[in-house]
Amino acid sequence: MTGFIIRNIVQKLFTLFVISVLSFLILHLAPGDPAQIDPMNPAITSDVVERLRESFDLDKPLPVQYVLFYQRLFTGRLTSWKDGRPVLESIWERFLNSLPLFITGTLLTWTLAFPTGIRAAVKRGGKYDRTTTFIAYFLISIPGFFLAYILIIVVVNVLQVPVIGMRTHGLTGLPAVMNRVWHLVLPSVLSATAGIAILSRYVRSQMLEVESQDYIRTARAKGLSEDVVHYKHALRNAMMPFVTMFGMLLPGLIGGSVIIERIFAWPGMGRLAYDALLARDIPVILSLNFIGAILVVTGTLVSDILCAIVDPRVSYE
Amino acid sequence: MWTRRLLIALPIIVCAFLLQSYFWTPTYEQQARLTPERLRHFIHASIGDAEILNPILSSDTASSDVHGMIFEGLIDRDRDLNWRGRVAESWAINKTSYLVVNPDDERSPEEIQNALRDAIERHRDEDTPLAAGLRNIIEVGEVQPAETLTETVHELPPPDEDTDEPPEPEEVTLTIHRPPRIVLEMDEVDQDLDRWLEEVLGEGYLSGFDGPKHIEVSPAAFAVNAARYAETFQPAIEHNPIITFHLRRGVLFHDGVELDSGDVKFTYEAIMNPANASPRSSSYEPVKAVETPDKYTVRVIYKRLFYPGFGSWYMGILPEHLLNEEALKAEAKRRGIPPDEFSLRQSRFNRRPVGSGPFRFSRWQSDEFVELLRFDDYWEGPPEYERWTMRIIPDLVTQEMEFYAGAIDRFGAQPHQVERLRKDPRFQSFSGLAFGYNYIGYNARREPFDDPRVRKALGMAIDIDEIIEYVFYNQAERMTGPFPKQTDYYNHDIPTLPYDPERAKELLAEAGFELNDAGWLERDGRRFQFTLITNQGNPIRLDILTLAQDSWRRLGIDVRTDVVEWSVFISRYINQSEFDACILGWSMSIDPDLFQIWHSSQTNPGQLNFVGFKNERADELIVRIRREYDDEERVRMCHELHELIAKKQPYTFISVGMWTALLDRRIVRVQRDDEGNVIGYKRIVPTITGSYTYDFDEWLKVPDAPVHEP
Repeated sequence: MTGFIIRNIVQKLFTLFVISVLSFLILHLAPGDPAQIDPMNPAITSDVVERLRESFDLDKPLPVQYVLFYQRLFTGRLTSWKDGRPVLESIWERFLNSLPLFITGTLLTWTLAFPTGIRAAVKRGGKYDRTTTFIAYFLISIPGFFLAYILIIVVVNVLQVPVIGMRTHGLTGLPAVMNRVWHLVLPSVLSATAGIAILSRYVRSQMLEVESQDYIRTARAKGLSEDVVHYKHALRNAMMPFVTMFGMLLPGLIGGSVIIERIFAWPGMGRLAYDALLARDIPVILSLNFIGAILVVTGTLVSDILCAIVDPRVSYE
Repeated sequence: MWTRRLLIALPIIVCAFLLQSYFWTPTYEQQARLTPERLRHFIHASIGDAEILNPILSSDTASSDVHGMIFEGLIDRDRDLNWRGRVAESWAINKTSYLVVNPDDERSPEEIQNALRDAIERHRDEDTPLAAGLRNIIEVGEVQPAETLTETVHELPPPDEDTDEPPEPEEVTLTIHRPPRIVLEMDEVDQDLDRWLEEVLGEGYLSGFDGPKHIEVSPAAFAVNAARYAETFQPAIEHNPIITFHLRRGVLFHDGVELDSGDVKFTYEAIMNPANASPRSSSYEPVKAVETPDKYTVRVIYKRLFYPGFGSWYMGILPEHLLNEEALKAEAKRRGIPPDEFSLRQSRFNRRPVGSGPFRFSRWQSDEFVELLRFDDYWEGPPEYERWTMRIIPDLVTQEMEFYAGAIDRFGAQPHQVERLRKDPRFQSFSGLAFGYNYIGYNARREPFDDPRVRKALGMAIDIDEIIEYVFYNQAERMTGPFPKQTDYYNHDIPTLPYDPERAKELLAEAGFELNDAGWLERDGRRFQFTLITNQGNPIRLDILTLAQDSWRRLGIDVRTDVVEWSVFISRYINQSEFDACILGWSMSIDPDLFQIWHSSQTNPGQLNFVGFKNERADELIVRIRREYDDEERVRMCHELHELIAKKQPYTFISVGMWTALLDRRIVRVQRDDEGNVIGYKRIVPTITGSYTYDFDEWLKVPDAPVHEP
């Protein structure tokens, strides 16, 4: 096991290095120059642009820029081209904003998907199963932004309360805390809808597969109650793939949905990345890319280890 | 079975907890009535976040919205667009000129003095431009004896092929042997003074003065620049304006330190410091020096006549004590950054600024909000609002929803919403013309766009009124030239280009185009074919593109179109002048400086006259407008320039947009008596340029919509 982990880490470090070189090269091949903050402003003359280029190191050769870039990233001295702030500081700030949304969304997804999926599997073919199937496909196919607008317009017109942003200004104490929870409701429900729909389908099919196994028939034949058959024997075995899915949640920490964050004016990760892309703010784009790569790589590692722990049949020796 | 119960209970608990939070959130009515703090809090929404809260470095509107509240400049404009003092209490423009006594001429200084006095006397009652120019000289003053001065400039050495090292600026010492000069006291700044003096003193008296001959340059390698140095330090006639600002006493920065002349000088130096890469530096380039004779006086000495320079002193004043070299060094040390890598641009100041304006900085959550608090020691008295917040809401639909829910106080209506929202009894609305216009620009370097008749024909073929009606929902107006329509500089006598496809066909026929058998226009066997381009992401420009293409096709022109991503559009097409015709827009300021967009010297790659407009008379007018200090004369020249540009049609001017802003009806202007007691409320009245926020310091939201007296 230890040997496997060490081998795996070395391999993944190499992958990370390749990713860092490739993403750096791709971004520098893209057209457009970050020194042109506002090319249509008559006050920005060509020597101003030249000075900006110099102060951003853009006049140096590419390998030097690469080394300078990652050196600054690892020492925390990398600053954004757009606003001059340390990149890690602004990523951390956005991470803290995205975290509640991510946690609430994940909580909603996982708590709602399991009961709906299991019940659909238990009552397969019945009215409940058919209705949830319909709703699931409806939620998967409807565009998120459309649903978001409809929900916002309905809530504002019917309830007359603000829903946009992270808080309503002008409140203090407990109402302010609860108000922040209220502002979480719509965006997290929306970011969870597709997840609930897909995951519940997945739970249903896993349960169905397990329920058709011989050991379930044996359990029934032993005379166990239906609840024990479904929730102890079947569910436990059906859970296996979901345990490994936990590892894959990790990259979601830095993902964040651009569309939901834009519509709800949520200052999260997705918008940071999107705005950085539009502004050609290469330090921010590359840092997010690199941190994202680290999380994906770590996520797969965690999945592999979890899988080995829960499933005794898997062996890495 | 507990697993089952848990699986059902968990989602119910989570949902119940989330939904109960609704009861803690105030509705529209509760926000306005039950929470008194909310009434003293103005919330503004912006599509994008501020980038840098420093008036000398920012280049985006969100930042200037915020730092406009925090910082204050020496001057700004009042309701009628006249200058009014802010940090400066008063100012004077020095009108003294100095005429060099040309050593190559036989006449002595006294003889020149007498010649001038005679001429003024002789022409006193004539009605000629020369007489008017001479009458402007109030007094021919004393003769200043010859003197020797030294000046230091910093200059980049000529590029060295052998090294890749970026050249370091070198110090150049100039020894200026200045001949005797005659002092002339003027009534007005007159850019043509040299012309009148030459007429009196004989041709070549001024233009023949060999300035560079009287300058010693050290090191000698820089002697090639002598002519340039002479222009600044040894002109034949020096009538560079000097503006003396007298600062208000007791203007405090938000940290309690008094603002004085040192801060003004520091702000100027920070703008000109190359390390700061300020996008505003070009407006201050004509400044020769900023002097501070005492704590409350600032003298700005210009190298040459440059009227737009005066307006540039609206620039917010930075606190020297927080940003000077020692302060920056200390900050770099504290943050562990090598001091030579550290400049004003990296300072934390730009995220928590300290200025002297009516609001002081409180908090900035990136992409969420910027919050300011009232500055109680503001010299003009504190504003009525206690808090000012700019929320960042990137989506216009949800911005509108937040406005309806009462969570923002101002909403900029979209053109298609204006009709409906103006009538809504909950809101008060303000409209005005924007400072900017849309246009189709033709690349005059390429055939057949070098022919004004062709450009005019293309403009006449497009039904612009239709564009205004259907693309802008009537929220735009036509315009004919490059000045803001709501200022005097705009020439209202010029008729708009009529929609007349028949006349357009005639004009094209005059230019040599004939319809061929296939129905396309042809000249010398070549089809009239070109590509019209615009940038991605602007639906209005896309609509104009389609309508223009359709109109031109009907004349028999083979128009192709291309929509290009913004940065590629700028770097590959516009900056390289690699296009036939493009749809773009300009934003304008009140001051009519058209040098960068219309002067023929600005047609190189990367410069803003990318359509290649060249006209001698226009060049002359543009330069003269910059040098003219008399308002009426400047307006007259702008009208002429406007007429000239309208005649040449380098652009098809499409329209200037109209904006509409909505406010809650309960926002009013509070009127107080001398003791500070509220004596009534007044309606918000916009200025002539449509700026309704002019009186923002008096604004407040009241619990019930007041009935205003008519």
